[in-house]
Amino acid sequence: MNLPVAARIARRELRGGLSGFWVFLACLALGVAAIAAVGTVRAGIEAGLAREGAVLLGGDAEMTFTYRFASEDERAWMEDASEALSEVVDFRSMAVVGEERGLTQIKGIDGAYPIYGELTLEPEMPLEQALAGHGAVMERVLADRLGLAPGDGFRLGTQDFTLSAILTREPDDAGDGFGLGPRTLLRTQALEGSSLLAPGTLYETRYRLQLPEGTDVEAAKAEAQALFRDQGMRWRDARNGAPGVARFVERLGAFLVLVGLAGLAVGGVGVSAAVRAYLDGKREVIAILKTLGAESGTIFAAYLMQIGALALLGIALGLVLGGLLPLAFAPVIEARLPIPAAFAIYPAPLAEAALYGALTALLFTLWPLARTEEIRAATLFRDLVSSRFHLPRPRYLILTVALLAALVGFSAWFSGVPHLTYYAAAGIAASLLLLVLAALAIRSLCSKLARARWVRGKTPLRLALGAVGGPGGEATSVVLSLGLGLTVLASVGQIDSNLRSAIARDLPEVAPSYFVVDIQPDQLSGFLERVEGDPQVSRVDSAPMLRGVLTRINGVPAREAVGEHWVISGDRGVTYAALPDSRTTVTAGAWWPEDYAGPPQISFAAEEAEEMGLALGDRLTINILGRDIEAEITSFREVDFSTAGIGFILTMNPAAVAGAPHSHIATIYADPQAEAAILRDLAKTYPNITAIRVRDAIDRVSEVLAGIAAAITYGAAATLLTGLVVLIGAAAAGERVRIYEAAVLKTVGAARGQILAYFAIRSALLGAAAGSVAILCGGLAGWAVTTFVMETDFAFEPVSALAIVLGGVLATLLAGLGFAWRPLAARPARVLRARE
Amino acid sequence: MAEPILSLRDVTLSLSGNAGRVEILHGISLDVTAGETLGLVGPSGSGKSSLLMVMGGLERASSGSVAAAGHDLSAMGEDSLARFRRDTMGVVFQSFHLIPTMTALENVATPLELAGRADAFERAAEELDAVGLGERMDHYPAQLSGGEQQRVALARAAAPRPRILLADEPTGNLDGTTGQAIMELLFGLRDRHGATLVLVTHAPELAERCDRIVRLVDGRLDRDAAGAAA
Repeated sequence: MNLPVAARIARRELRGGLSGFWVFLACLALGVAAIAAVGTVRAGIEAGLAREGAVLLGGDAEMTFTYRFASEDERAWMEDASEALSEVVDFRSMAVVGEERGLTQIKGIDGAYPIYGELTLEPEMPLEQALAGHGAVMERVLADRLGLAPGDGFRLGTQDFTLSAILTREPDDAGDGFGLGPRTLLRTQALEGSSLLAPGTLYETRYRLQLPEGTDVEAAKAEAQALFRDQGMRWRDARNGAPGVARFVERLGAFLVLVGLAGLAVGGVGVSAAVRAYLDGKREVIAILKTLGAESGTIFAAYLMQIGALALLGIALGLVLGGLLPLAFAPVIEARLPIPAAFAIYPAPLAEAALYGALTALLFTLWPLARTEEIRAATLFRDLVSSRFHLPRPRYLILTVALLAALVGFSAWFSGVPHLTYYAAAGIAASLLLLVLAALAIRSLCSKLARARWVRGKTPLRLALGAVGGPGGEATSVVLSLGLGLTVLASVGQIDSNLRSAIARDLPEVAPSYFVVDIQPDQLSGFLERVEGDPQVSRVDSAPMLRGVLTRINGVPAREAVGEHWVISGDRGVTYAALPDSRTTVTAGAWWPEDYAGPPQISFAAEEAEEMGLALGDRLTINILGRDIEAEITSFREVDFSTAGIGFILTMNPAAVAGAPHSHIATIYADPQAEAAILRDLAKTYPNITAIRVRDAIDRVSEVLAGIAAAITYGAAATLLTGLVVLIGAAAAGERVRIYEAAVLKTVGAARGQILAYFAIRSALLGAAAGSVAILCGGLAGWAVTTFVMETDFAFEPVSALAIVLGGVLATLLAGLGFAWRPLAARPARVLRARE
Repeated sequence: MAEPILSLRDVTLSLSGNAGRVEILHGISLDVTAGETLGLVGPSGSGKSSLLMVMGGLERASSGSVAAAGHDLSAMGEDSLARFRRDTMGVVFQSFHLIPTMTALENVATPLELAGRADAFERAAEELDAVGLGERMDHYPAQLSGGEQQRVALARAAAPRPRILLADEPTGNLDGTTGQAIMELLFGLRDRHGATLVLVTHAPELAERCDRIVRLVDGRLDRDAAGAAA
């Protein structure tokens, strides 16, 4: 191999300009731009979250306790450690105006709130003035629902409040996490007499600390955790002020990058086709170079350098586009985001996108480049390159595998969700393989159909079938590129519709009407009497409810024992029961005797126990209300969370916890038309309890899912856009062939209408083929995600599927017909003479 | 004298190219009678092929009139010309111009199908048999040799039984022996179907097989040679 000569050849060849390479450049630039843009937006949001961490959290650090206020010791430590301390109480309740009721997330604050950031009210007024006496502020959506205007009254529990203003901005909103109801803000002391913070009521207290300048946050955290973690304290600090949002953004960003990689794979198909076409046109040049004594390696290097230079240009274009687009749209994006963002040029996501672009370009150009070695000098005299498919030499196969491994490895590393990356990569690879097989099958089928007797006489159809099935057609690249783009869209469509139908359609059928919390022990019998006696109520379940944190397993801190698992990530519901109820299935071990009063025992959810590696006999330390209870696992049982009914991970024997203050929860299964009356009755009789309408909660979850689905659909649309570029590229590349075909057909007597019909049928066939394969692949992906990830039944969604096939047909038809005018207008004599 | 099947009057052809407007044909007037074989000869660039294209309606004359089989080609639109060729003319090119995505059989059947013939494929098969390609009907053009491709092109041109056969240097891309065989086939087809044949060729021995030879020089008929019979 002679690299200097190769470089000179490459430079001379590139002097010809970039014409014919726009598809190559566009495919690569679009793929890189999509990934760079997603990465830049993600980095912008993460930077915003980091910058505003203290504001989002409401302090430099936050210590949270579940249904209790901080003890004197805890409070003393916090006051000692901080310059300012704010106490916030957070719980759900019902705001009542006459007969109207609305679920609300109440935030009781003290005079120090907010330590950071500013609250905005409408009409503008100081917070102190708005909350004076029994004043409160609430979000507009709740005020509107209850028909409230500033100055009107409403009730919480047994206490009357006056709405002073509408809450338009709450600085620490994003840090508080997902709430089912709109916010109502008031002074904690105003809740006295509301009966809402009785012992056993479900509430959280959050203590926000303003730490002195120069405080070692890590040391403070370590000290607080050492002192109070076992009492159920949870720590957060401004380094990650809104962990839920940060995690969500990170996951969604990672997922969108994976969608972007699918787009890059589509672009890769276009890149490969462009390089193949370019090198086909260079066969004579390569043959001449070989005649003149150039070695295969030198020629390979010369063309690799050319393609490499073009790839760098495409990547650079993509980075400029992907880096600048979020900046250009920053005001629009920021206005729509509920969280702060700091848009700027971030090198890391750009570097990531560039790396993906380079690896993809190399991966998809390697095989066409490898074919340059097969071109012999004798090509000048006769065509010696076989058009039959065969694998390139082993060294290129090894290099291909290495590049693929690098691409998947880097994506897994950068995304932070390796399993999802592997699944996505396997999905893309499987889709590509299926699409290749489908393209071959379609070509074979069309080839056979073109010779079928029934198509004889239907000239445009036969010509179209022959063109799709014949040699050298664009069937493979169109089915691959458009098919993969449509596959991503079809997968999103199937997963989205199944997810939504599982949550919004199927769940309400099995879910209760109401989830009722904060039923005090002395209210339980009356409550049950009211609902169980109602003929329109089909079922009522109730259980005592405490909250506890699983702190240790066999004496070892839980995180060290089982790693990250959602069961140990915060406080969990704990219940007790003397006997298992009729719906409980014990899968291992034995339930305690009904009158058992010995050392505490636990019945643990079987599936979660298996995930955490727990065994019968393991000893768990549960912190309830700051007190540690150590109990032995004596049984495992099935817990089904999919029906939104009552389900506890931890059930203990009554003697272990019944003495602690607690309330009860209940689920009511009632006819939809009876729901309102039941709620009215219960709220009147028991003003302190909170009834969460499950349908409302489902709607809220559905809204969030719709937002996620929209974001992913945008990602899929970028993939499809790349597919369309490849499609247009294929149509443009085929234009010369079409012109020639049209000229020959005109010569033998075809009218333009017949030629146009032939072009249209051919395009529609390819589009329908790509769309059909996309539905098959998308359906498979949807089935896999629904069955294995969501663990629900898969139902094929036909409307989006049909739309995708039609979209595929329309796209190829438009691209095909867009490039049909020149062939139709060309004079046959000139076209044919030019080929002489 | 019999009624001419092809009649050109004062035909000119000028084309625009990158180098400006180029005059190809200058005032060509020519009649070809039905059943006649006419050889068009002349040096390269003299306008022979262009004249043939004008006769076939594949190129539109810049001025003058072109009539074929009683139709004024100058007044016909693109689609009318296509239908006219379908029903009346067969064209054979030097570079064969077969459709690469079609088999030999499909290539030959296409004009018959376009003409609405129910027996298009049977007729196409017969024509391929007649040119000795009965065994290679399902081959694509790329799988055939140059001579075989030209035989397919001949079969395609002859299959609709055209009244006029136009052949533009049909042996130009073939070796001597193959070219000879192709010419035998061409003249054989012409004899069998009684079509009028206009043959553009460089080869004097081929031209001499025609009833009449017309020589073109710089886009003009060479008056000295015009009318000379072989």
